[in-house]
Amino acid sequence: MDHDIEEILWTYLRENCLPRGSKVMYDDAENLFETGVIDSAGLISFVCFIEEEFDMTIPDEDLLPEHFMSISSIAAYVRLKQKHSLVLTSQEN
Amino acid sequence: MSTVKKCIVWDLDNTLWDGICLEGDVVIRPEVQQTIKELDRRGILHSIASRGEKDVAVKILQEHKLEGYFLAPRINWLPKSTNIVRIAKEIRLSLESIAFIDDDRFELEQIAFMLPEVMTIEAQQAPELPYMSEFTLAEVTREARARRQFYQAEQQRKRAECQYPTREDFLKSCVMQLKVRSMNMDDVPRVLELMSRTHQLNTTGRIFLHDELLDIFSNRAGSMKIKVADLTDRFGWYGTIGVAITEASDARWRLLYLAISCRVLGRGIERAFLASLLRDAQNLGFDHAEAAFRDTGRNRMMRALYQMSGFRKWGKAQKSGTLIFRGAISEVPKTPSWVDVV
Repeated sequence: MDHDIEEILWTYLRENCLPRGSKVMYDDAENLFETGVIDSAGLISFVCFIEEEFDMTIPDEDLLPEHFMSISSIAAYVRLKQKHSLVLTSQEN
Repeated sequence: MSTVKKCIVWDLDNTLWDGICLEGDVVIRPEVQQTIKELDRRGILHSIASRGEKDVAVKILQEHKLEGYFLAPRINWLPKSTNIVRIAKEIRLSLESIAFIDDDRFELEQIAFMLPEVMTIEAQQAPELPYMSEFTLAEVTREARARRQFYQAEQQRKRAECQYPTREDFLKSCVMQLKVRSMNMDDVPRVLELMSRTHQLNTTGRIFLHDELLDIFSNRAGSMKIKVADLTDRFGWYGTIGVAITEASDARWRLLYLAISCRVLGRGIERAFLASLLRDAQNLGFDHAEAAFRDTGRNRMMRALYQMSGFRKWGKAQKSGTLIFRGAISEVPKTPSWVDVV
């Protein structure tokens, strides 16, 4: 499995949510809320970024801890959505 | 009805002052100075979007002891629309809450075209600003008077953040104290202001009237209660930044309304406030809580707050479209480690 998605997500957080120039490396499984990286407002900005970056719509119903608590859960969610959209596209064709 | 503007962005040459600063002496008319100070006193912020050389312009403002009144000034050669968007982003205001004043009709038209949300004003009207409805508030609260200082303290926080390796270290260094208490009569003007100014961190967008609040306060509205939250940190006093309305009956505990000032975004204050309210519910013997949410198009983050706290959609009010979320209090995340709830 490639880790491009995780990398893109961390790049966004480093640029927008972490102290400038911070060298600290977090684990993908780190809880983004408990570590203060994002809060409710930060999550919404992050979600807008993910929607644009990965060309997908994230319904409000999906804003759940199992999908958005950590980078690994978000990446898994993005992969799942991408897989679904592939299935849908191939059905359309 | 015209909406109240929160920030006025000034052009400099022949607007804030008479004359062109790169061409010689300029004069700042006393009535313009008065306008700046009067609006500042009301909690309306000032900024600058002007073409020119920053050093020269800042020197003039310093000579008149006015430089401290302007937040996030942009004096450069970029298009003013770009500068206004950046100012709005830096002081975290929506474009709808910004007014732009300039002597150049072309610039005004351009902003009206590029950023239609921004109110445009001709320079000659500067002395009249304090009398315009867009800059008139019913009551000037202590929080409003200190608004500019809040933003300046915020700049200090931003500078301090770079000194810490992680966001959590920085947040801990702020020494935040959140005081959650019952509303008093003295709080009513600030609570009304908070409710009307808060759009993003507002669970229903409902506008309460003065008398409605008093009814709840004086217990004429059944078992409803109003709680407010005050925040301080080592950089200063934020004042009252949150309000919640709760209702406890025999069968259930409901959070009917929750609003938190966007001034405290990014610190997890909404989670701390919610956790504190739910602890109260737990102490009353409830193990589940319900929370009302109405989509206003701008408050997605409050839905995120409930859902990320383990609440799930439970029902919907037919008439109002208000959603009811429900969750087990025991599953709600703890107060963030950097917030001391007192």
